[in-house]
Amino acid sequence: MISNVSFAGGAMAPFNRRKDGSSFRDWARAAVQGALDDANLEVSDIDALVVASESDFFTMQLNPAALLADECGLVGVAAKRVEGGGASGHLAVHAGVAEVASGMARRVLVLGVEPSASHLKGTDVGALYGLSFDAWTDGMTGIDSTSLYALSAQAFMARTGATVADFARIAVRNRAHACANANAHLPLDISLDEVTASPVVASPYRRLDCSPLSDGAAAIILARTSDLPARPQGRARFRAAVSAVDTVRLGERSDPGFFAGKQRAAQRAYAAAGVTAADIGMAEVYDSYSGAQLQSLEALGLANGQTIAAEREDVFSAQGAVPVNLSGGLLGQGAPVGATGVAQVLSAALQLEGRYFGQQVANAPRFALVDTHGGIATLNAVSILEAP
Amino acid sequence: MKHQLKLDYTIPFGGLQPYFDALHDGKALASACNSCGSVAFPARTQCGNCRSSDMKWVRLNGTARVLFRTDASAGSFALVKFDGADTSSTVALDNPENDAMFGTIVAPKDGAPGLWLTLVDTENEEHDGR
Ligand SMILES: [Zn+2]
Repeated sequence: MISNVSFAGGAMAPFNRRKDGSSFRDWARAAVQGALDDANLEVSDIDALVVASESDFFTMQLNPAALLADECGLVGVAAKRVEGGGASGHLAVHAGVAEVASGMARRVLVLGVEPSASHLKGTDVGALYGLSFDAWTDGMTGIDSTSLYALSAQAFMARTGATVADFARIAVRNRAHACANANAHLPLDISLDEVTASPVVASPYRRLDCSPLSDGAAAIILARTSDLPARPQGRARFRAAVSAVDTVRLGERSDPGFFAGKQRAAQRAYAAAGVTAADIGMAEVYDSYSGAQLQSLEALGLANGQTIAAEREDVFSAQGAVPVNLSGGLLGQGAPVGATGVAQVLSAALQLEGRYFGQQVANAPRFALVDTHGGIATLNAVSILEAP
Repeated sequence: MKHQLKLDYTIPFGGLQPYFDALHDGKALASACNSCGSVAFPARTQCGNCRSSDMKWVRLNGTARVLFRTDASAGSFALVKFDGADTSSTVALDNPENDAMFGTIVAPKDGAPGLWLTLVDTENEEHDGR
């Protein structure tokens, strides 16, 4: 179990498609300054920087940790960059947790940033994403991310009876949650029919089942609980930070519709935190596609093996027993890859502290779970946070 | 600013070179584990089942059964099981206008070393019918 690692504060620069000429360096600086203000700390209080950015092809900047340390005035700090595909941001948080827990650093700034929307054409980003799987086998067939997710979703539907209507409900709900989030890319008031009538991208997925390419940044500060500045409000604490991989090739999985690596990460996280899935009162879950949210919920075990029934009974809605993605998730809040996982952790921590900037959970729970993955649930990161 | 990056990669396939050489010729070369017998297609250099590195090459007949397929703007793709393999494969579909559930491997036509399947109607196919 992790003890003595707290969330000291955090902030995000809005997730959207920037059209104002601002750069990823500007968003990073804004997120870092916001995090320092929220934590009531100065740059000189930070010992270490962990940067999450998925690909130099997006930023056109190698060695981004050194560049961003310099940009943000973090003179002389330890710095590194962490990468794990879609899980990059969450893995950077884990690296920061490890540095604080081990005593390597007192206060770590974790900064996720990605210009996924504005730097390259969508088709070029899609071609790069196609290398997120086994680039020699899957990648060389020309299969894109949506198609691979679609094949996995079909296997999931065949086994569980989940339907496109279940997927559409998630696509609608996460966009509705995003309407309360001023930092969200797609705060949309849409109907189920609009989802099922949107253009097919890769059957069964339609455009509104897919998360967007976003620009944005998010930053959080981690500290030993004893190194928090004195504050009136308490801060959330980390109880588990676990990751686990699955086979890279979908075709080598005994069930290509089941996220076994995610289940492994979640089970280890529950054990590490000394909790069970039933103790989790809210979650930020990796919804790169609407169906992937349901597949993730199944693997995380948040509905005692009755995932589809729970989804249909609104267990995962804002009014349900385990609200999921009140931030809007990737579908609603957006997905600037390196920043995504950092923002998920930020949302969960602020919810537990009762000071979330979007739709606040009705009854603040004791434990929140954060789930992020790279590939097709290939590299899975799970954190469990506890309320103050 | 506007900036264009043009990169030409030369990437050796190492221990998987025989698999890709066969693929180039439209042939299905799988890896079989001498320890547990597991047959992987696409091939692996280490067994995905038991982690043994004691592997041999086995030629499959190149016929496959479609498990799931998706039709996308980027093309049509499927998760298929090649006859004789214990693992499944993601393939690009050569003739997506056909909705048959069986197919045979075909040499890639776009220059990339991808795995492509031509769908064939079952009555015309000497498939083992598993
Ligand atoms: Zn073996």
